[in-house]
Amino acid sequence: MNRSLTSPNAALPRLGLPNLGLGVGLRAAHFSHILEHWPAVDWFEAISENFMDSQGRPRYVLDRIAERYPIVLHGVSLSIGSRDPLNLEYLRKLKKLADETAARWISDHLCWTGVAGRNTHDLLPIPLNEESLRHVVARIRAVQEILERPLVLENPSTYVTFADSTMSDWEFLTRMAEEADCGLLLDVNNVYVSSTNHDWDAAEYVRRVPHRRVVQFHLAGHTNCGTHLIDTHDGEVIDPVWALYRLAHELTGGASTLLEWDAKIPAFPVVHAEVLKAKRHMSAALPGFAASPQPRIQKPSTAPAAIPIAGLPLAAPSEAIGQPLHFVPPEVR
Amino acid sequence: MPQSSAQNDSAESQPGVNPRPLDLVERWMQSVITHPAGVAAGIASDAAQAAIPVSPDEVERVVTRSQALDSIERLGVYANAYYARLLECLRDVFPIVARTLGEELFDHFALGYLQKYPSQSYTLCELGARFAQFLDETRPTEPDAAAAEAGLSPDWPRFVVDLARLEWTVGQVYDGPGMENRQGVLADALAAIPPDRWLAARLQLAPCVRLLLFRYPVNDFYTKMRAIDRADDDDPIEDDLAIPRPEETYVALSRRDYVVRRYPLAKPQYALLAAFESGATVEAAIAAAAADCDLSDDELAVALHRWFADWTADQFFLSVAFD
Ligand SMILES: [Fe+2]
Repeated sequence: MNRSLTSPNAALPRLGLPNLGLGVGLRAAHFSHILEHWPAVDWFEAISENFMDSQGRPRYVLDRIAERYPIVLHGVSLSIGSRDPLNLEYLRKLKKLADETAARWISDHLCWTGVAGRNTHDLLPIPLNEESLRHVVARIRAVQEILERPLVLENPSTYVTFADSTMSDWEFLTRMAEEADCGLLLDVNNVYVSSTNHDWDAAEYVRRVPHRRVVQFHLAGHTNCGTHLIDTHDGEVIDPVWALYRLAHELTGGASTLLEWDAKIPAFPVVHAEVLKAKRHMSAALPGFAASPQPRIQKPSTAPAAIPIAGLPLAAPSEAIGQPLHFVPPEVR
Repeated sequence: MPQSSAQNDSAESQPGVNPRPLDLVERWMQSVITHPAGVAAGIASDAAQAAIPVSPDEVERVVTRSQALDSIERLGVYANAYYARLLECLRDVFPIVARTLGEELFDHFALGYLQKYPSQSYTLCELGARFAQFLDETRPTEPDAAAAEAGLSPDWPRFVVDLARLEWTVGQVYDGPGMENRQGVLADALAAIPPDRWLAARLQLAPCVRLLLFRYPVNDFYTKMRAIDRADDDDPIEDDLAIPRPEETYVALSRRDYVVRRYPLAKPQYALLAAFESGATVEAAIAAAAADCDLSDDELAVALHRWFADWTADQFFLSVAFD
């Protein structure tokens, strides 16, 4: 395997990748605004699957944006944790898109999205143990070789943990990043959501990930369902998540920071203003991270998890879907 | 499989020493969270039992509980999101079918569809690919008394199939190949073809041109629904969702400047373009149009001239070939 692709930079912070500043996730709802106003955003993150097959307006818009801004590709279908074989056609298209848009790096999630040929289109957790680690590390290495660049993997929000897990999230992320020689995308909102859902200490999580491997941060809003949090990306970043971001910024020395807003998407300036709030949390004059934030969680729930109606489950309200959809509605006359 | 799940399950009292194989955990979880009747039914399903034979009471041996939620409730977060997410996607791809059917009926069809044709693609863009086909396959064929009473034609479900085909094709044209960076055949180029070669010419349609034949006037219905959607709240258009009477209609879809455009066609226009689509010569295409036409030969000649002028202006033709 071609180790020269990543190894020389592994000793550098962020694998030697640049700190792009404060970016915004590219969403179809903002295409027209961006093309008209060319807002002063540092960079954009594009959902790979929205563009890799596009021969229409989405791809046209991405190409225009890539002419003016740094682009990072963020995927949701790599399925690095799945026991199904890697999808080589997908990887070929991903590499082509990255080459054509001069993507600064490619990221996806530490998850699986389906098995036995199916795709649930969700970011599902794996048991965190030695077998999973071996499997994921081997796949990251294979992917990095195909893509000819380091892969950056994100900690997803999770809603279950497994009896077969023998490692914490941060222990798994640390060993995975070192053994596969890959980067990390630390989603501080996901740290908060998962830590709350699993009764962990979110600040401990941030303190224990390998800081030099963190290439990028994600920020987002979530939904408090009373008994658990869901990663809905539908609102402002809450203060405890900003506190985690402040801590992560201090510990890593700073990294490219991106705001995700995927449901109830407001006008572009509102989304942009939200990520600019990060500046307040980068100042050395600010007090450091004080105490672990404790979200308000009720217990236990009285509602059953799924209410079958006429043999079919009652769909959860759309505001409670984690990992929101990325679908571009057509423009038609 | 490396070992039987029963063997493996007996080792579970020592997590980490001999954890379940990852593929069994994944098969189990996928079966559980995608089961249409919910998590408990998913755990009891044959597919889940074949991977990890635990009962709903024992599920903590696979998925641990939190302080606030038990294991089944936690799996339920994924189970609820699975259908909710994909239903939302189908509603985005088929917004007018969804509005026409109403939320409950649309969701009923969409849930059936997701079970029969679960996603096997890395992209959600493919999720609705077989929805119109599914609606057609499951369409009731017996006369429906309630529909008859409501003044509907007995084959009104075909209207929904047609509408789904239209909405799906709109999306395909929107994101498929187009003519934005290419020059199609110009009117001058057609005019310059010598008459003796013209009849043997074959016109290749632009890759964004799609021809659709419907049993119902769904394009007009689509226009009306979009007008309702776009109308001012202060000046709403009356919401008339009545299903129209059956009538064979023809539509071409194309794209200009990345916007999908719809062109209602007369029957001979459709016959002409469909002949080109299947590779026919101009002579054969005109014969096909004439067969479906109540115009005189002279009138048809005038009409053809106008049609070719309009279609070349709208970049309908990618190239001209001669044998
Ligand atoms: Fe994220």
